[in-house]
Amino acid sequence: MKAVGARLPRYDGLGHVTGRTAYVDDVRVAGMLWTKALRSPHHFAAVRSVDTRKAEELAGVHAAVTHADVPKNLYGHLEALGVPADEPLLADGEVRYKGQPIAAVAAEDEATALAALDLIEVEYEEREPFFDVRKAFDPDAPRIHPWGPVYPHFGPHDHRRIRKGDVAAAFDRADLVVQGVYRPTAIEHCPVEPQTGLAVPEVHGRLTIYSCTQAMYFSMGVVAAHLEWPLNKLKFVGGTVGGGFGGKVDTATETICALLAIKSQRPVKWRWTREEEFLASSTRAPWHMEIADAVTSDGWIIGRRMLTLHDAGAYTRFSSYGLTKHSFHHTGAYTIPNLDFNGYVVYTNRVPTTAMRGFGVTSISFATEMQMNRIAKVLDLDPWEVRLKNANRVGDTSANWVALSDPSTVPVVQAAAKRVGVELKPEFRLMTKDRRSGDLLPDHLVEQLVSTDGGES
Amino acid sequence: MIKAPKGGKVVVKLTVNGIARDVESSPLTSLLHILREEVGLTSPKAGCQQGGCGACTVLVDGEPRRSCVLAVGGIDGSAVTTVEGLAPDGLLSPIQAAFYERYASQCGFCTPGFVVAGHALLARNPEPSREEILGALAGHMCRCTGYVKIVDAVEAAARGEVGEERVFPESRPEEPEVLVPGSPA
Repeated sequence: MKAVGARLPRYDGLGHVTGRTAYVDDVRVAGMLWTKALRSPHHFAAVRSVDTRKAEELAGVHAAVTHADVPKNLYGHLEALGVPADEPLLADGEVRYKGQPIAAVAAEDEATALAALDLIEVEYEEREPFFDVRKAFDPDAPRIHPWGPVYPHFGPHDHRRIRKGDVAAAFDRADLVVQGVYRPTAIEHCPVEPQTGLAVPEVHGRLTIYSCTQAMYFSMGVVAAHLEWPLNKLKFVGGTVGGGFGGKVDTATETICALLAIKSQRPVKWRWTREEEFLASSTRAPWHMEIADAVTSDGWIIGRRMLTLHDAGAYTRFSSYGLTKHSFHHTGAYTIPNLDFNGYVVYTNRVPTTAMRGFGVTSISFATEMQMNRIAKVLDLDPWEVRLKNANRVGDTSANWVALSDPSTVPVVQAAAKRVGVELKPEFRLMTKDRRSGDLLPDHLVEQLVSTDGGES
Repeated sequence: MIKAPKGGKVVVKLTVNGIARDVESSPLTSLLHILREEVGLTSPKAGCQQGGCGACTVLVDGEPRRSCVLAVGGIDGSAVTTVEGLAPDGLLSPIQAAFYERYASQCGFCTPGFVVAGHALLARNPEPSREEILGALAGHMCRCTGYVKIVDAVEAAARGEVGEERVFPESRPEEPEVLVPGSPA
């Protein structure tokens, strides 16, 4: 245990302070071309035609690609689980968000590549875009995908469901129902290193791909799938990431660099501008969350009904996974015995949304903590006491029936109170995370709130 | 500003990390592009290319400047210093040593900009207050949000609270090395 508690030098620290750490943009390969992408100027439009011929004829341009150049254009991260692919690498027939790539060129330098984009001819037919998840089920809402307004593959349902206990009985017994609507907005990850990729065609036919991905094997799989290549023809070099925060989980540059490298047989780099980062890179999703809690007048939450609308943006990517995590955490750090949760992944004409620091969970943590404050305010109770009463205890089960063996809510809330100088009453200061013993629990709620599974997991 | 015939190139004389160079370029090309793509120094980073993030910062005649928005034609005859030129090969300057020892770098992408800005501050003001350090680093973005450690590192470098002259590559110590006295080893 020599390392635990010791301050060890960072293995990459010297590289960072000497400027020697080589990020993708710092890799030098002779004969390298630069990439620029033609992106949709519209939020939602039909693409009637794309013609890159004039761009390809421009001096200094080595290759251009459109959807027609991609062996397998449509991709879905959850195809292995039987969920159909829904996102084209390069737009084919339709653009569903502003900034969606339609074509890309590789040229001697960035200025030439930009000039080539101006020579690509695209005919659009604009459509009315859709942004408000609350209107997704309106009959006159624009239809973004042919299968409907939401992701339909949660088993037999078109939404993620959780049913636990008897929520109707809880609402019958409640002294009061406390409702809240919580709507955290999108956040751009904004790493200082923009999305950057470099694909090098090797003489033996393989591709070496320098990647700033946070998820090497995801990205390798994505590139291999689009190219319909076996993995052993790809060599990925990565692990040096100039900030990601979840925004470099989705594969942004590598596949298009690979296609252009194969077509031009030259090394191809694509470094996004900051404008592209803000326009077209994925963000944390905006969430719409409606909570109704059945509470007792002394501050016990005995039931929760919840509706979540998760804004996926234009394509699914990992949204269904994020919403599932969200549903598992929808009681926060607290135990509520009776639950009815419905969550929908809703499509809009925003950029596709993705992971960011606690994918799906930060939204519900925000909503739950705001709701705890609201309950305390409505009941005129101390918000610390409401939290401690309802805190997870050993033996409680989470929303998805995982028995908690070491929940930390009680000690964390107590420590937080201490740090900010809040004096808790003795009965709350002495609470422990141990199995509910009925502490402060009225008799009529013992049956509801004391675990009956008979043991710790 | 050197003027060029329309669309043409000029020769700009620069001293980069002590070495005199004649750079042939459009006068409007950014110093960042020249350093990265012509000279081959990659420590200045293209973070935003709009002068907004500070990752491209280098010293021009000792002053920290945003190289991504600095037209090379405007700095003819100047001395340019990047992180690569702050200390002799294999050694760290005090500010580099302090950043290393005090974990003032997470992903590292913003670090070269912070290091040269801190270096320039200490060169003109060897005993800066915390507020002066904040002023000198303002406008440098660290998205991993390690700002406290960064300011601490500049403060430590100013006070001379850095280890012995650090030579690298270091041999890997058998015992975990304790960088900061008083840490719970």
